[in-house]
Amino acid sequence: MQNLRRVSQGIFLLLFLFLFIQTESKGTDKLGYPVKLFLEFDPLVFITTFFSSHAIQKAFYFSIITIVVTIILGRVFCGWICPLGTLNNITSSLKNRRSDTRGRNWHRIKYYILIFLVISSVFTLQLVGILDPISLLIRSFSLSIYPMFNYSVRAFFDAIYELNPKGAVDISESVYSVLKDSILSFKQPYFNQGLFIGLFFFIILGLNLSERRFWCRHLCPLGALLGLLSRYSLLKRSVSEGCNECGICASVCQGKADPDRKEDWKRTECMYCLNCDDICPQNAVSFGFGTKNPSASNSDKEAIESGRGIDLGRRRVIASALAGAVTVPLFKITPLAGSNTFVAKLIRPPGALGEREFLKRCIKCGECMKVCITNGLQPALLEAGLEGIWSPMLVPKIGYCEYRCTLCGQVCPTGAISELRLEEKVKIKLGLAVIEKSRCLPYAHSIPCIVCEEVCPTTKKAVWFETVKVKDRKGREKHVHQPRVDPELCIGCGICETKCPVKSQPAIYVTSIGESRSEENQLLL
Amino acid sequence: MDRRRFLKLAGISGIGLTVPNKLDELFNDAEASVKPALVVATGISPSKITKAAIDAFGGIKKFISRGDIVVIKPNMAWDRLPEQAANSNPEVVATVTGLCYEAGAKKVKVFDRSVNDPGRCYVQSGIAGAASAAGAVVSYVDDRKFRDMKINGEALKTWPLYKEIFEADKIINIPVAKHHGLAKLTMSMKNWMGVMGGSRDRIHQKLDQSLVDLSMVIKPTLTVLDAVRILTANGPQGGNLNDVKKLNTVIVGVDQVAVDSFGATLFGMKGSDLGYVKIAAESGLGTMDLTKINIKRIKI
Repeated sequence: MQNLRRVSQGIFLLLFLFLFIQTESKGTDKLGYPVKLFLEFDPLVFITTFFSSHAIQKAFYFSIITIVVTIILGRVFCGWICPLGTLNNITSSLKNRRSDTRGRNWHRIKYYILIFLVISSVFTLQLVGILDPISLLIRSFSLSIYPMFNYSVRAFFDAIYELNPKGAVDISESVYSVLKDSILSFKQPYFNQGLFIGLFFFIILGLNLSERRFWCRHLCPLGALLGLLSRYSLLKRSVSEGCNECGICASVCQGKADPDRKEDWKRTECMYCLNCDDICPQNAVSFGFGTKNPSASNSDKEAIESGRGIDLGRRRVIASALAGAVTVPLFKITPLAGSNTFVAKLIRPPGALGEREFLKRCIKCGECMKVCITNGLQPALLEAGLEGIWSPMLVPKIGYCEYRCTLCGQVCPTGAISELRLEEKVKIKLGLAVIEKSRCLPYAHSIPCIVCEEVCPTTKKAVWFETVKVKDRKGREKHVHQPRVDPELCIGCGICETKCPVKSQPAIYVTSIGESRSEENQLLL
Repeated sequence: MDRRRFLKLAGISGIGLTVPNKLDELFNDAEASVKPALVVATGISPSKITKAAIDAFGGIKKFISRGDIVVIKPNMAWDRLPEQAANSNPEVVATVTGLCYEAGAKKVKVFDRSVNDPGRCYVQSGIAGAASAAGAVVSYVDDRKFRDMKINGEALKTWPLYKEIFEADKIINIPVAKHHGLAKLTMSMKNWMGVMGGSRDRIHQKLDQSLVDLSMVIKPTLTVLDAVRILTANGPQGGNLNDVKKLNTVIVGVDQVAVDSFGATLFGMKGSDLGYVKIAAESGLGTMDLTKINIKRIKI
């Protein structure tokens, strides 16, 4: 059975990676099915998004399948499907554990985390994406692991290209072009905080060396939710009388469900990896839907079949719920949560909801940043308050919003960025471009430059010229085109800022004033 | 060229197009003494006028030899559709690609350093699809392939330029004629910005002179100016179909200055209205004065 499970884990991991790589522009405005498919099967995201925003994305109905499957089969998602679980599984196996039997007794922590996250979502604070395993995985891959992978592969092939050892370049370049067409990104992605997001991910993987599937056992809030759902699952594990309590099952258990403790085993921790079934020298363990175990006495049978519920402790449950509730005002007492404070540099993607509604929905999965073709969407740090950490913001100095692209809205799993048709999208204002005359070449130095006007994509250009007669230092007269921004037409896409030749600090830049999504942050009457 | 001569030429080329190839060559030989400096072909089908113009200009075989590696440089700098006239016409590019292969070219390469996202520009312009279908190797610009080149011009001394341009046996420039805020119009000479690496934005400070410097070092075998649709305002990327004018015309020539000077007339301007055309003519790169050259016009 364990091989069957491994095949399943492998298939789902590959599916995840395949969809992940598909989440990239191919020069058109359409994607293959993006990686949000995994999030749509994630009931934790579904429930907390519903609580925080009272909105249901239709696609999230998929997650009901996960709920039903868990009620019937138990936490098979953790053991057989979850790609992060599989990665934890693989890293766990890097360490040889003959003597590893018990591990820590910390499995309750994940339930407290779950309670914390759910309660805070009820009070409109959506933090689930920070720790939800699917969201965490997509974010870590998008902003850190995949950029790292690209960087390494490119550096390798570039090195061969530069050194050119005897004819090796032809071969290496053809391999490189195959990779470029398949698994590499169109261009090297760079992300602010990629380092920290990557470290966070590596720490999670590293914890497996301290204890097998540490994250899945002790921390994962989705695992906790599925654990609760699996309490009365129909697929049951039973131990026959043949069990001689050798305890070997405990040493291979992935979930630390104490399978050797007969009536004391923790069925909510079981990930249905079936290792105990495989390894049992007496062949005493079996999984099945039947409840027949005639040789066991009645009371024994019940105990063995149902296992013991998780004893979370009433006080600690209340404490974590309270913590979840108290965190909400703690996060909301920043001026940003007030109605009249706006951050100039907080430029949200096109179609983003109003800031408060946006934060209730954004789970920081990073898909929009992955799919952004100019690399302009970057994870926020504290620009939107701690509540908005790792949420997407456009940084035009890095990349602009491509005029005819609507991909970020297409990949957003929760509707924090609404999906727009192209003709709607081109009308959305992200902000307004402002010219800094002291740096702009035609204004400050009477030197011709028209780049901002040239690249301005609105069909009647928002950047226009005023032709002005100026005098140079020697008193000679000349005409220069000075750029001006028409606030009616500017959509704040930021291409002028990205392409401005004054690179260190562009002489034209976008701020959020005038953004379509806000009623208050407006300039014009 | 006077009217009589024009009518004669037009008549001959008209006949030439309706008679078999061999006869066509005879006529061409007979007309060698009045070899046109520009051929201007007009007609509904972009591919037919392109073919006819090149044929009337001496035929592709005069320019492309068996085994040649040819670089075709279209303008595909913008994420716009063909009908928006911000990029070269895909049919024109595909037709020229096909002609090169007919002449025995070994490989036809197509690329441009775009301004918008390259993936989108290549696909949305329709050029990547059309040129690939015609057999061209369409590739994205590879940053490793820029080399510092000595230009020794007035404005540009050295600049990183795309090495594939200099490694090719033949170069065919296929710009689109359109409006530009600073240069007024962008056509063949300005199309070379697409092989410039580095921070090419800076050349706008001395745009006219820089374009001439650049055109001095890049020697196209042939220039095919696409005026099937021209963009008359909000260039160089446009977007508004009201700014697009359908002229159903292509202009073929070797002299970039003459091509651009003629291109200006499509917009109701003269070559001398364009700074870079004027400087180029003064520097001896080509002829700006259209009365001094033989222009052959054909209608399909």
